[in-house]
Amino acid sequence: MPVWELLSVELLTAFLGLGLLVLGLLVPKGQKRGLGYLAALGLVGIAALAFALREAQGVVWEGYIIDPFGTYFKLLFLFAAILTCVSSFEYIGRLGNGEGEYYALIILSTLGMMILASAGELITLYLGLELMTISFCILATYRRGDMKSAEAGIKYIILGALSSAILLYGLSLLYGSTGSTLIKDISLVVNSGGVTPLMVVGMIFLLGGFAFKMAAVPFHMWAPDVYEGAPTPVTAFLSVASKAAAFAAFLRVFFVALGDSHPLWAEVIVALTILSVVVGNLVAIPQKNIKRLLAYSSISQAGYLLLGIVAFSTLGVGAILYHSMLYVFANMGAFMVATVFYNADKSDEIQDYAGLARRSPLLAAVMLFSLLSLAGIPPLAGFVSKFYLFMAVIDQGYIWLAILAVLMSMVSVYYYLQVVKVMYLGDPPPGRPAIEVPLGVQIALACSLAVLFLFGIYPTPLTNYAFSSAAAFFH
Amino acid sequence: MLDALLSSWGLPLWAVTTIRALVYLLGVLAFVFLNAIYLIYLERKISAYMQQRLGPNRVGPRGIFQSVADAIKLLCKEDIIPREADKWVFLVAPIVIFIPAIMVYAIIPFGPGMIAADLNIGVFYFLAVASTTTIAILMGGWAGNNKYSLLGAMRTVAQMVSYEIPLVFSILGVVMLVGSLKTSDIVAAQKEIWFILLQPVAFLIYFIAATAEVNRGPFDLVEGEQEIIAGPFTEFTAMRYALFYLSEYTNLLSVSALAVTLFLGGWQGPWLPPWLWFIIKVYIMILLFMWVRWTFPRIRIDHLLQFNWKFLLPLSLVNILGTGIGIKVYQALMTGGW
Amino acid sequence: MGSTLTLVAFWILFVLVVASALAVVLLRNIVHSALYLVLSFVGVAGIYILLEAEFLAAVQILVYVGAVSVLLIFGVMLTRRGNIRQSNLFNAFSLAAGVVSLALCVLIILALARTPASLPLGSWPVDTVGALAEAFLGPFVVPFEVAAILLLVGIVGAILIAREVKEDK
Repeated sequence: MPVWELLSVELLTAFLGLGLLVLGLLVPKGQKRGLGYLAALGLVGIAALAFALREAQGVVWEGYIIDPFGTYFKLLFLFAAILTCVSSFEYIGRLGNGEGEYYALIILSTLGMMILASAGELITLYLGLELMTISFCILATYRRGDMKSAEAGIKYIILGALSSAILLYGLSLLYGSTGSTLIKDISLVVNSGGVTPLMVVGMIFLLGGFAFKMAAVPFHMWAPDVYEGAPTPVTAFLSVASKAAAFAAFLRVFFVALGDSHPLWAEVIVALTILSVVVGNLVAIPQKNIKRLLAYSSISQAGYLLLGIVAFSTLGVGAILYHSMLYVFANMGAFMVATVFYNADKSDEIQDYAGLARRSPLLAAVMLFSLLSLAGIPPLAGFVSKFYLFMAVIDQGYIWLAILAVLMSMVSVYYYLQVVKVMYLGDPPPGRPAIEVPLGVQIALACSLAVLFLFGIYPTPLTNYAFSSAAAFFH
Repeated sequence: MLDALLSSWGLPLWAVTTIRALVYLLGVLAFVFLNAIYLIYLERKISAYMQQRLGPNRVGPRGIFQSVADAIKLLCKEDIIPREADKWVFLVAPIVIFIPAIMVYAIIPFGPGMIAADLNIGVFYFLAVASTTTIAILMGGWAGNNKYSLLGAMRTVAQMVSYEIPLVFSILGVVMLVGSLKTSDIVAAQKEIWFILLQPVAFLIYFIAATAEVNRGPFDLVEGEQEIIAGPFTEFTAMRYALFYLSEYTNLLSVSALAVTLFLGGWQGPWLPPWLWFIIKVYIMILLFMWVRWTFPRIRIDHLLQFNWKFLLPLSLVNILGTGIGIKVYQALMTGGW
Repeated sequence: MGSTLTLVAFWILFVLVVASALAVVLLRNIVHSALYLVLSFVGVAGIYILLEAEFLAAVQILVYVGAVSVLLIFGVMLTRRGNIRQSNLFNAFSLAAGVVSLALCVLIILALARTPASLPLGSWPVDTVGALAEAFLGPFVVPFEVAAILLLVGIVGAILIAREVKEDK
């Protein structure tokens, strides 16, 4: 396959992003909404192309790997980006100018994630990571004049820079001790038993850097504040896509390059998993703000995804792929509801959600099913994906870890249902009108709801796709 | 030559290297000091001529020793350090500004083989070292604890950092033609035709950007006497002020020498010895700079930056694109195919 | 040049880089910290020259000394508040931070000491500039282009954020 065809998804994404940047300057004020539609439509087109090329396999100049695994993640990022764009129409339109740049940054950060998922070389990986992080830093500060948004931006950029520095140091140590930045060369060195103490230090730094991007405990401190301050659609995108991108890159580096040194880092991952699942779920209980609640829930979700890494098997990787895809729809659904609610009531506090079921049955229903899917209640898709994750660790003999994760899932049901209780049993504040949901968002909400039910009841197509991608990853 | 002589005395290699480096350094220093002192005189005479004045005419025949007298005067004056100054930064700044000013001469080919260090990265070394001047100006502007100095320093830095970009891009046009960053290669490549003819736009951009880089009129916002006295240099006295002043003319000399190397064929020329050709061309460039300085009024800072970002930078990018296409077309014509 | 001379140069640069890096962290005046950062960058450039990576050294000087640190000092000077002599503040955990840093440093040094020194695979080119150019536009073209987009995003972001401040006033 020619190079341009292998890179077509990335190239089109880059062109779309850059084109929107230029268009944003040309389109007159008042017609800027079209930019959002264009962004969403363009992303849909690119997603269709990526789906058509899902079996594509090839290597571009040694350092850039196109394979079903990477393409699966690219589809995931594209879906998240589409939902983000759709839920942003209203929200960003109200923030005033900078719309062209907003959508361009969303798309360019998607490009960064795609590069992360396909990077077979450390420098490419780092640059993809930075492209994603820098775009998010800017997006996080998009609520002008809002102290919390500024705080979110500053926190993300400082802690992001710190974690990037740690990751970069790890990468440089890895390069220094193996003599190559190519992942396949590094794996050759590691295979031949060439693990030096310096490489171990490098691995620790890499773990720290990646754990930061995944928002796994104890590298999670930034998440609640950034999630709370950033514009809600950006928070949604950040919580699902950047986490998935970090997992994609992590799998590539640790399973392929450092796969043979698995015993060295496996226990650290177990520790990260336990901490994330326990701390994420327990700290979520007292949260009063829906975005902070979802932030802690996303920390615990990072813990569940880490179970797949603990398993270190095809089943584990497949479960990660499957769970992260459904996590996109469940989490995006919850955040889209939060966005619409914020647009109507200018509030993110859970107590203000009182009586939402009467003001907008659709919003309350989507929130309910999204949260239940996050908690892993059948017949929703979250149940199936969590089931696979637990099976993957039990397969490897970590029964106690699975039991702990199940127990913590039960804890999570408690705080998710707290929100549901407020929505359905609370009384709406007097004088509050019903909430109107824009058509685009209605469609997006319906889509994510459909996905959650469809793959909860009939998961086979997606699981087949996820597990075949995972098998291709290990081949 | 020198190497062989020193080695014959039985000195080890490192000693030979060190001695050679010292000799080069002394040679460059002597060249620079003599020229700078003369240039100050020249500038005053030319400005006087342009403004229909006499200029310095008391010390020596036609005032030719005026600069020498000034230099001695500055050496003897009291070295004042303001009480509220950031003392160490204040003391170090004039020295820091002078180091890159001298260092850039390492890659200037004064004649065939007359080059202190024919580096692989030649021109790029010049740009890199020259870019550090901004730090010294910031240090000077900061240390005096004077708001006019700080303002002047800020302005200058904004100006120098911005104009560095078109400067680099203009040089890139020449580098693309030669395919080497070595200054000796660049001069050798101009045996047939000077690059000012092949790269007229680049020369123009270089000339404008270099004027801004050395902070000369009409881009002399660093001083802007009417607004901020002498900018970063206001608080400096005696020898320290002299060093700033000297470095200004040293820089003028070095950008002129680089212009000659890049665009005017370096030391190449008929009949006369190469080093003489080089000096003549350098002085032509310097006269051009002086002519411009005393002809155009100072430009306002925002106009200055707008001109750079909205005109000079796109122009230099277009020039690079055109050069690239030109080279490809030329190669196609020469080889008869792509 | 003899290897002794190289070794001497290395140790001088080593002391320069480490001492000025420490000064960056420990000095109380943030302008001085920034200036020492410049010195540290220069020292790193010197180490690149010792490794015969002249082009990289020049880039280090041009980008870090000539541009990045200038912007840094610029920022510091424009945003200063109150007493500049106490501008680079320490929080209450300086002792703990020192202990942790020292422990990390010892750990890395120990790991380094136990690792046999190795050289990169393959031979390194004589013409570093040409080899770099070919690498950028050849095997490394993907990261090269990504870096271009990354820088663009950075510029756009800087303008977006700076513009906001202006409009709010």
